[in-house]
Amino acid sequence: MKESVLTVEHLTVYRETYAAVQDVSFSLEAGTDTSIVGPNGGGKTTLVKAILGILPRHSGEISILGQPLTQKGFLPSRLRQQIAYLPQSFLVDRRLPMTVDELVGLGWDRLGLQLPWANARKRSHAVRDALVRVNASHLRNQLIGGLSGGETKRVLLAYCLVYPRRLLILDEAPAGLDIRAESEFYQLLYQLKQEQGWTILQISHDLDMVRQHCDRVLCLNRTLRCQGSPEVALSAASLSALYGSDFVPYKHSHQPQVNDVPNRTRPLP
Amino acid sequence: MFQTELAHFLELFQLPFMQRALIGGILTGIMGGILGSFTILRQLSFFSDALGHSALLGISLGYLFGLNPSFVLLPFLVMLALLVSYLLERTRLWTDALLNIISSSAMAIAIITLSFVGQYKGGLDNLLFGDILAIQPMDLVFSGVLLSVSILYIGLTLRTQMLLTVDETLAIARGVPVSTHRMIFIVLLSLVVGISIKGIGVLLVSAFVVIPACAAQQLSRTFTHYVLLSIGLGVLSAVCGMVISAWFNLPSGPSIVATQLAIFLTAMVLPRFHSLTHKPYTPQAQD
Repeated sequence: MKESVLTVEHLTVYRETYAAVQDVSFSLEAGTDTSIVGPNGGGKTTLVKAILGILPRHSGEISILGQPLTQKGFLPSRLRQQIAYLPQSFLVDRRLPMTVDELVGLGWDRLGLQLPWANARKRSHAVRDALVRVNASHLRNQLIGGLSGGETKRVLLAYCLVYPRRLLILDEAPAGLDIRAESEFYQLLYQLKQEQGWTILQISHDLDMVRQHCDRVLCLNRTLRCQGSPEVALSAASLSALYGSDFVPYKHSHQPQVNDVPNRTRPLP
Repeated sequence: MFQTELAHFLELFQLPFMQRALIGGILTGIMGGILGSFTILRQLSFFSDALGHSALLGISLGYLFGLNPSFVLLPFLVMLALLVSYLLERTRLWTDALLNIISSSAMAIAIITLSFVGQYKGGLDNLLFGDILAIQPMDLVFSGVLLSVSILYIGLTLRTQMLLTVDETLAIARGVPVSTHRMIFIVLLSLVVGISIKGIGVLLVSAFVVIPACAAQQLSRTFTHYVLLSIGLGVLSAVCGMVISAWFNLPSGPSIVATQLAIFLTAMVLPRFHSLTHKPYTPQAQD
């Protein structure tokens, strides 16, 4: 049996007066890619933030890499270094005088007491390699405030990749990436999982992607409605239970038929 | 004529009170620069201003109870800073509105308190605008100790401070004790404001924290460069302000702040010239 990287037991998290996440239990095995799906307001981001200690929990236990996360969100720094988090929204102040190189470098540090110039060379090499992996080397000396949304996402991914992690937590990470970047992004996640044994927990609304790439799915609508392989968790019955009985998943047609849409302007020959 | 004035000017800087004022200005410039660089990016500029104004209340309470105002001021400001920080987290008011309530109320209560004290020593002008020439050796010792603590704290946690400034959520996810760092920073800021008030006054003290950092922000492309430049401009403005003050026989604190303004305006203009010769970055479409 594979090692458990994350264990959540009977977790309940309150947002103001209501339970946004209630009595949720699951565990993640090492080297697996798990997706959390569910409707808006279903508690997906709340769950992830509680796992990271960003939000306090009302009850339940969380254990990461064999170490319990305390009620106040404390986890030893050597374990924190093994976890990376890519948030749903990252609103950078455009006036901030910080380069991409500096931001990605912050992902490499353990963030304890240290001299400002310590490990500069090692950090620099790691930053260069991480930027190459996300195809963003050309951005290295740019100010983070000048990046487009997609570029910011790539840079944040480099921030996650700059140090070898064991658990990568992504909150709708590919949002804002173009089709090519999104494809490269999932390819990279697959490599991290296959070659380096990273465990991935991601929130996603792209059910096709989940079917294609994920080993396991957690269906969350405040409570955990179902969990299992994509075939089981994303069956019509499960989706109806999660999103409502009138839910019909829309299938993208990758070869659009112009005649199918009467009002659409015909493309020029 | 010029030589006589120069000789007089040089003689002036040989006087102990003038040397203390210069050293005090430099120490305040460094402290303001180092903490100011984070203060403006975390949008705490008005917080330092409110602390400065509220300091008048601490001083007036010292006079009222017959205590040394300097000894009352520092604990008063630290307590007030922590209270304001707590209120900012707990109330649903806008930050600037809450700070305005606190600073204007503190000023009003301070003036009323001073009216009970009657003829207090020093005069209101000295409290409002400071008197850097009145700095005593013990003030320099306090400033030196506080500067050392500030440099050690910011220097050893620089990378944590950088991440905190970029995004608190990312910092929490990395295990940074955000509340503890926020509290330490606010205590340091209140101590710097409190110690600097004697030289610069309650009305101008926040300029030392805000203006050099804003000038450095205009000229910097990396964070490390920005912090160092903020410190450098804080020192430069203190030295130049003192020299201008001595040469033209002007009030010292306002002269330093006017110099900071001149440096800030220059810093605002310089990047415009730079952009004429350097093409700015624009996101490139990929093949």
